Formats: sequence, structure tokens, C-alpha cells
Amino acid sequence: MTLDMLKKGQRCEIKKMHVKGKLMHKLLDMGFVNGSVIEVVREAPLYDPMELRIQRYLISLRKSEAKTLEVAIL
Amino acid sequence: MIKVALAGQPNCGKSTIFNMVSGINQHIANYPGVTVDKKVGRFEYEKQTIEMVDLPGTYSFSSFSLEERVAKDFIVDEKPDVIVNIVDASNIKRNLYLTFQLLEIGVPVVVVLNMMDVAQRRGVEIDIQKISQMLGCKVVSASGAKGVGGKEIVEAIISTSKNKDDYKKFKINYEELEPCIKIIEDIISASDISLNHRWLAIKVLEGDSSIIEKLDKDSNNIKEKAKIQENIFHDTYDKDICAFLATLRYDCADVIYHKTINETKLGKSTVTDIVDKFILNRWFAMPFLFLVMFLIYQLAIVYGYELTKYTWPLLAGIKNFAIDVLPVTNFIDIPMITGFVIWMINSANALLNYIPIFFILFALIAILEDVGYMPRMAFILDRIFRKFGLHGQSTLPLVLGGAMVGGCAVPGVMATKGIADERARMATILTVPYMNCLAKVPFYTLLLGAFFKESMALMMFFISTSTIFIALIMAKLLTSTVLKNRETAPFVMELPPYHLPTFKGVIIRAFQRVWTYIYKVMTIVLAVAIILFAMLQFPGISDESQIKYEVQLEKSLKVFEKKVKKSKYYIEVNTKEKVSALLNYYDGYRAKRMTTSSREGAKSIDEKYKQKNQNYFKFIKPKKDKDARIVNKVLRKLSKTRKRILRNIKNEKVENSLLGMSGRAIEPLTKYAGFDWKINVAFLSSFAARESAVATLGTLYENNKADSLRAEEAMAQNSGYTSLHAVAIIIFMLLTPPCIATMIVVKMQTNSYKWMMFAIFFPVFLGVFISSFVFTFGNIYHLNGLEAMKYYYISIVSAALLLGLFPQKLMNWKGGFLKKP
Repeated sequence: MTLDMLKKGQRCEIKKMHVKGKLMHKLLDMGFVNGSVIEVVREAPLYDPMELRIQRYLISLRKSEAKTLEVAIL
Repeated sequence: MIKVALAGQPNCGKSTIFNMVSGINQHIANYPGVTVDKKVGRFEYEKQTIEMVDLPGTYSFSSFSLEERVAKDFIVDEKPDVIVNIVDASNIKRNLYLTFQLLEIGVPVVVVLNMMDVAQRRGVEIDIQKISQMLGCKVVSASGAKGVGGKEIVEAIISTSKNKDDYKKFKINYEELEPCIKIIEDIISASDISLNHRWLAIKVLEGDSSIIEKLDKDSNNIKEKAKIQENIFHDTYDKDICAFLATLRYDCADVIYHKTINETKLGKSTVTDIVDKFILNRWFAMPFLFLVMFLIYQLAIVYGYELTKYTWPLLAGIKNFAIDVLPVTNFIDIPMITGFVIWMINSANALLNYIPIFFILFALIAILEDVGYMPRMAFILDRIFRKFGLHGQSTLPLVLGGAMVGGCAVPGVMATKGIADERARMATILTVPYMNCLAKVPFYTLLLGAFFKESMALMMFFISTSTIFIALIMAKLLTSTVLKNRETAPFVMELPPYHLPTFKGVIIRAFQRVWTYIYKVMTIVLAVAIILFAMLQFPGISDESQIKYEVQLEKSLKVFEKKVKKSKYYIEVNTKEKVSALLNYYDGYRAKRMTTSSREGAKSIDEKYKQKNQNYFKFIKPKKDKDARIVNKVLRKLSKTRKRILRNIKNEKVENSLLGMSGRAIEPLTKYAGFDWKINVAFLSSFAARESAVATLGTLYENNKADSLRAEEAMAQNSGYTSLHAVAIIIFMLLTPPCIATMIVVKMQTNSYKWMMFAIFFPVFLGVFISSFVFTFGNIYHLNGLEAMKYYYISIVSAALLLGLFPQKLMNWKGGFLKKP
């Protein structure tokens, strides 16, 4: 299951990150590491990007990027 | 002198601390070769000079973004004595991720726990002593927004710098990675870079290109050697080094968090959560965004414009003062120096006039930035802009550029600074100038008044809404052609908690930006104004014409003489010198009188002129004095005649001038768009500032016999244009390059003359091409102006919508399951 499939209010844990290069570094620096817990806060008014809560702060991520994160629902 | 680098993650309140500590003793420069602002503050404390450099806010300390590269290069090259790390006390865990990387560098660090008031409100209890102990450095608590902790920070900086040599090196145990670190450390031991070698080794293993480059000079093939270690590590533990380091740093942050912090209100909604429920609500978000944009427009453009009515007399005052001190005009002979200085002041005033608008605009942007609404705006609109290769963060620059009726590209282009995605940033810089420039509005009004009296509102709607579609089309075209291979960045953007902005911070930033505008833009605009002046002045009018105008003047002077002889004041105006002085006195009074509308103002001007010359004043306001009235009457007539002659001279001068010749030279090319040389000259001269287009056209079309005609009427009657001509001109004006001021900020933001030239010439060719097409097409099918404009509008709207359907190519980062080996 990937992150973009989650609905508002659901929580999950990162299992594996299928990313490379710049996006990987950016995600790592923003706190996306294996085992991090993510909560989907909401989707943007036009359904994309999505707003997430990770490491106790809020972040927005496009669905195309969220697709690269393999997660397990908590 | 103690050199201090100020580092911290975005939204930790770094600039508030910077403003609090260094006060107004700061200046902005650029980091070498890039467009990132470098703020430097210098101040004294207990006889110690401290120089503080505000590094760009970064989440990490690698080199994957421009800001990170700049920050790291500064530390490596400039070797500060102390690094001050600002930490958001209400969100310590994530902030520690950067703190660890700073501590590893080996330069003494002072940690500042900022926003302690927010942390307290959120029920975060922090054991500061324990953190200090665990990190092995000084930890100071502060609250920048409340002005608390400034002195403690400075004292901590001084004491840390004094005890620099006793500074205990900070070390994270990277467990499995340690052997690899040791090997690299040994390889680079010969390097003379005076920073902590362990840190350098870790950076090499992270694949940090700028550090590898620096080390490559001393030890060869460091890159390959690092690669070998990386492969060994990957094969042994099945882990990627970067991901491993990041995970470990987060784990360490977690340890510190659990040992030193106690949260009493965990799980409760914060103010930000509650506000976001409305601001980012699916149905409410768009109307609210629109409201914010409308308010910015209303406050800055509309009220700012009102404000210029009060500041304009000041600028006009400068001009009038210059007229007073410069050599006076002798009938129709204007001294070159006078003409030149007045031209320069006019050019400068045209730009200075916008400063109230800019100041309000920049202050409002600063407020939006501080509050935290900017990233939310991007969040709401990203989906639309992404389709055209732009970014959610392009919203504000486009709105400032004039998405609603009128704006200014200068603040618009300046606001592109924060856009994370390089390609979208370039595309935004290059498309903002297509938006509706406020100074073009009088030009449209002139043309609409002349040719579209009945359908003015509809035409204005077409003009003001077509620009956003043009901008989107251009963005799409640019990002899929010339900008195709530019770096793009993933849209991973923090939505920071809401904060109240500080008055000081907002004002400082607004002033700094206005100042940048004044000194960067004004200098170049004045240089261009000099060139334009020369091009309009030379070669001047022919000798025959000169004689012709002198004869005309002689004639009117004779009439004057004949009539004033009947007056008993004849003795006061019986020589040419006397008449000339009186004429200048009269015209000067009229000009000054035009700048004021209040009764007190008028009175004070009267007083001033009475003092200046009691004798002459009676001719201006003769009241019951019959003989003075005679002089007054003929004087008014003489003044009118002189103005007419001067205007004719000016017209002829423009026609013969280099600029006029250029206008004629390109006529064969522009005739397909229906432009004659007069229009060409107006466009050419409008390059320094848009306002002059109207003024130039005004002079060119004024009819000598019909002095009372308004400019638009004169144009409609005397130009021989149809409404189709007008539409071609309007379309060209919509597309043509922005003024020189915008070009300078484009140069500043792209850091390249090449892109500046592109931004000048591409729209010109495009403008000529499209308006020629519309004009020719319109002629073939016998369309009137309104019909042609309708077709044009429908075509660009559908083109924009169609282009939005094509997918956008993303570069420089990969991901997803498809590419999995």
C-alpha cells in the first residue's frame, strides 16, 4: 500500500521508500525515514497535494511523490 | 572581531532573532554568484565587535539545495568563530536533526531555544540544563517575537568564543558505519582544511559534492574511494548510507527529546490546527484566498495609488525647484542643460512615484510570509499551476504582477525568490512581466477612449483577464522548451504554524526591499534615460525650420508690443529681456499653481510670487487695475503662442531625431501590424518607463489648430486609424517587454544577462508576430476591432486550456515502483 491511497485522518508507518536522488534527500531531511509515523491531515481543495503530519509538524506532499512511499496502516 | 554564523531551520524565527540582536545595523548583499540574500549585521558589545551573518534557513546541512550549498560554503570558506543555531522550542525534535550536523562541523555552537513563549503555551516543558549537558554546548532560551533573550545570546557568543580552545568535540556514534568513517578520515588526514576531519569524512560518505571537490585537490580519487566504502556498507548491511545517517540522527534526537522534554498538552489541537480547518477547508479555501488577494490589491494598488496623490506634489516640487535654479528659457530657446535636467527628473519621478505602492506591497508580503500563509497559498493552488510548469508558490508573484487589472512586475519578480523549484522559478520570473502593468492602464484608456467608446468595459475585461492566460501559455511553452532541462524540485513543503508578525521585522524588510529597488533600479533607469534623451535630441531641427519658428515668434511679439503700448505699464515691458522674464515668471506661476488644489497652497504660492517680484505679480492677478489687465490679456495669449511653437519644435525634433529615424526604419516591418512610425517611437521611448508612451503619443497627435481637444479625441480624428489598428496596438502593448526597471530585477533574480536579453526580445518578436497576424487576419475578413479582440481572446483561452492537458516532464529526481531494478 502506498501513501497516496490513504484517506483523511488515517495514520500509517513508513515501511520502505522507493526513491532516489534529490527527492530521497529531501524526504530524509524532512523526517521521512523508515518507521516514521505519518497522519494524513487533509487533501488540498483540488484533491492534490495532501497535507501530512510527521515528526510533529505539517508538510504538504504531491500525490505523485506520496506514491513512492510504501506504508502500513496503523 | 567575533565572526558569527546564524543557522537554523526555516520557520524557527531566525530572522526575528537576527533583527533583535543586530538591530538596524544590517545590510543585505548577495552570496557570491547566486541570488540568495546574505544579511550581515555588525554591532558592539562590551568593546567586542561582533559580525553576524544570517545563513539561509535549511532543514539539513548537505548540498542538495542551493541554500544548503551556500550555507555550507560559507562555513567552510569563511570559518566563523561561533555558529549560533536557532531552534524552535515548540518543535525541538526535528530541529535537532540540523543541530547535530552543525555540532559535528567542529566550530563551537551556541544553541538558542527560540519561541519559548509558544512552547510554554503548548505545554512543552524543557530541561535546558540537561540539553546543554547532552549536546556539550551552551543553550540559551529566548523569545524573539517578545524581544526576550538578546543579551543572553550575545553573552553566550562572547564566552563561547573566548573558550574556543576548550571546546569539546561533539560525536555521534554511527555504529556500523564507524569503520568506513575511519578509513575515509585516514585518507584525508593530509588535507589542510582546518575543519573537523571526521565531519569531512561523513560528508564525503554522504556524497556531498562541494566537500568532495574541495578535498579532491589534496587527495586524489576521493570520490571513487568513498564509492567503494559505500558499496561495502551496502553489501554488508543492505542499507543506504544517507538513509542510515538520517535514521540514526532522528533516533538520537528522539533520545534527547525523551530525556529532556515533558509535554503536558500532547494530542490537543493547537491554534494552527483550528485555523487551518477553515483556511484550508475544501469549500472555504478558494474564496478566502481570493479575498486575501483582493485585499492586497485594494490596500497596495488602490490605496497606494491614492497615497501617490499626496507624494506626487513633493516630486513635482523637486522638478519646480530645478526649473527655478536652472538657466531660464529665452522665448523659444530652451538651454540644453535645462532640458536635460528636467528630462532626467521626469524619468526619475515616474519611478519614484510608485514607492508608496511598493512600500505597502512589500510590507504586506512580509506580513504574509511571517504569518505563514504563503506555503498554504501554494498548497491550495499547486494543482493548477503545476499543469503549466509553474509552482503553487507562483501565485503571489503573478498576482503582484497584475492578475487583477493592474500591478507591477518589479515586486512580482522580486517575490519569486522563495520558489523552491528552479524551473518553476525561472518560468515565473519570465512570465510575470506579461501581467498587466499598472502604468499601461492610461495607455489602454487613451486607446479605448478614442476607438471603443461604446464597449469600453468589455474591452477592459478582455485586456485585464487575457494576461493570465498569456502568462500560463508562456510558462508552459518555456518549461517545455528552453527551460525543459532545468532542475525541478519535489514539492515537499512545510506548512509552518501560524505566527503573529512583528512590526519591526515587517518594517525592516519593507524598507530593505524598497531600498534595493531605489538604488539598483534607479541608477540603470537614469543611464537609459540619458541615452534616450540623446536619441531624441539629435540631430535636432533644421536651420530653415529654426528661422521659420523665429519669424512666428517675432510676429506674435510685435502684436504684444502694439497692444501693451496702450497700457501705462508699457515702461515695464518695453524690451525683449523684460518680456522674456515676465513670460517665464507667468509660466512658472501657472506650473506651480497646477500642483496644488487647496486654497492655502494657492495663497502661499501667491505670497511667494509677490515676494519674488511685486511688479510682475499685478500682471498675473490684475484685479481692478485696468492697465494691468491689458498686459495680462496679451501675456496669456503670448504664453499660448509660445507653447504652441515649442510643441511644434519638439514634434519636429522627435521626427528628425535618431529615435524618430529608428521608428521609421522599422516601419516596413511593423506596417503588417498597422503601426506607423509614431506608434513605433512611442513604444521605443516607453522603454525607460511606461508612462512616457502616453505622453509621447499625446505630443505626436496633438493638433496645432485644435488646442482644446483632449488627447483621445485628437488621436481618433488625426491618426487615420480604425479600431482594428487600435486592437493591434493594444495586443502588442499587452505582450511587449516590461520597462527597464523590470528587466533589471529579472537580471537580479536570474543572475544572467542572457535571460534578461531573452526577456526583452522574445516578447517583442511575439508581440509583432501576433499583432501582425490579428491585423492581417482582421483586414482580410473585414473585422472591426471588437470582433478581432473577441477572436483573439477566445483563441488564447482555448490554447491555455489545451496546453494544460499535456503532462509535464520532471527532471533530476526519481522514484516509484516502475524503475525498481
